Amino acid sequence: MKLYKPEIEAQKFWNPYTQTMPRAELDQLHLRKLQTTIEYAYARSPMYRKLLDRHKVKPEQIRTLDDFVKRLPFIDKKEILDAQAVSPPFGDALAIPEDFFHQRFATSGSTGAPLHIPLTYHSAELWGESWVYLYWAAGLRARHSFYFPFNWGIFAAFWSAYMGVRRLGATVISGGGLDSKARLRQIDQYRPDVMLATPTYALYLGETAREIGVDLARTSISTVIVSGEPGGSIPATRHAIETLWGARCYELYGIAEIGPTNPGCAMQEGVHLCEDWYHALVVDESGNPVEPGAVGEHIVTSYIQDGQPLIKYRTHDLVRRGDRPCGCGTTWAFYPGGVLGRTDHMIIVKGVNVYPAAVEALLHRIDGLSEHYEVHVDRDATNDFVTVRAEARPGIDAARYAELGRDAEGVFKSVIGVSIDVAVQAPSSLPRYELKARRFFDHRPAGHRWQLAGRSEP
Amino acid sequence: MLARLRDLQTRVQELRQAADNPALERTMQLLDLYCHMARWELGDVRAMNPEAETR
Repeated sequence: MKLYKPEIEAQKFWNPYTQTMPRAELDQLHLRKLQTTIEYAYARSPMYRKLLDRHKVKPEQIRTLDDFVKRLPFIDKKEILDAQAVSPPFGDALAIPEDFFHQRFATSGSTGAPLHIPLTYHSAELWGESWVYLYWAAGLRARHSFYFPFNWGIFAAFWSAYMGVRRLGATVISGGGLDSKARLRQIDQYRPDVMLATPTYALYLGETAREIGVDLARTSISTVIVSGEPGGSIPATRHAIETLWGARCYELYGIAEIGPTNPGCAMQEGVHLCEDWYHALVVDESGNPVEPGAVGEHIVTSYIQDGQPLIKYRTHDLVRRGDRPCGCGTTWAFYPGGVLGRTDHMIIVKGVNVYPAAVEALLHRIDGLSEHYEVHVDRDATNDFVTVRAEARPGIDAARYAELGRDAEGVFKSVIGVSIDVAVQAPSSLPRYELKARRFFDHRPAGHRWQLAGRSEP
Repeated sequence: MLARLRDLQTRVQELRQAADNPALERTMQLLDLYCHMARWELGDVRAMNPEAETR
């Protein structure tokens, strides 16, 4: 007896109806979903009613996708925080009574006040479903077990991945409240098939495993799913994780306040927009959609955030709008390379845009350098300049550090075309992180940022 | 399939109205929610959530 009929289990897509829908039909469906969401938000969210009234936009005026692009205002985190501050925790941002709350999350608050996120049962089920598109594409089914080395706190993190395992019908094994050594012992004891973690933690477990004499490639883990920071779509980082674990590595890109928007796929070269439950634009600094193949800011609308609607939300993430299908067979929008950086981390060195993800990928080309590095950005009168601090691998003679640094500088110069100083340091000299690594240190004066012009204020 | 889903949801909503105990009402509410989700998955978009559709 099986959970899914055999002919269903053999299907390539979780929802082939929408995942292979031609673009023109998908866009028509998006228009109906956007209109429904805007109408709901205007009727039920004081924050959205005030925002649309301020911009003199009524829901019934959004008749085409062009109207949506041109007329509907963007919204940023600060506006939501201001709306929540009216009467904490949710204030004017709330669209549904507390009766319908299922779970509350909050962002980490590392940039100031935390943003509070109410999830209804409806939202929670569909946050989970976003992960299922990836699980299914990765060949994972109800019979598989998923290990969560995660502490189940107030930060959304992997909660939605857990909801996805429930939605799929597979097994959850919790590694909450344990240190890394205990988690490795659990993996040995319970023999899960899948491990979910940030790329940093997936690699950190490798260091812990070495300390206690465990070969991760010999564990039961055959699939690693990473999320929470760029890495899974950076070939060298993905390869490092796959080699370490002896497993296939996939990525999901999500945003804490809006959900798991972009599941990866079997091709492992990027992520797709989950177009059943999200709409997205990729825009330039003028707020206009970029041409296919170009990089821009990811602007997301959720169809499933009925507790606290978010429409044309500025993520500040930079992605490339794919100009060709990825080859997995879905018609959903493809972002090769996943998240390339942040608008507030974008570096311009002598007129060349440099993305942190590119720096990581190129450092991996230097044999002798480990996966630990820091990018320090500063600015003189006219230009950003970058210094990279990289760690040598254990066993590398210190006399070679300068040579490795020159090799890395040569790679940056030949591939990106810019001069970036690289200082190589001893192994373990840089901080270690359990969850998200802090790689980017911005010493530039405030105000030197990507500015999204227009449509933020009337 | 869509017609059958809509019909099913109508009957679930009637049952929810008629439910005379909390356990049954909650189960019917979840059934209503899942019917609503299934309709969205087939492109039948009417409202943001089932509560918005019926009130």
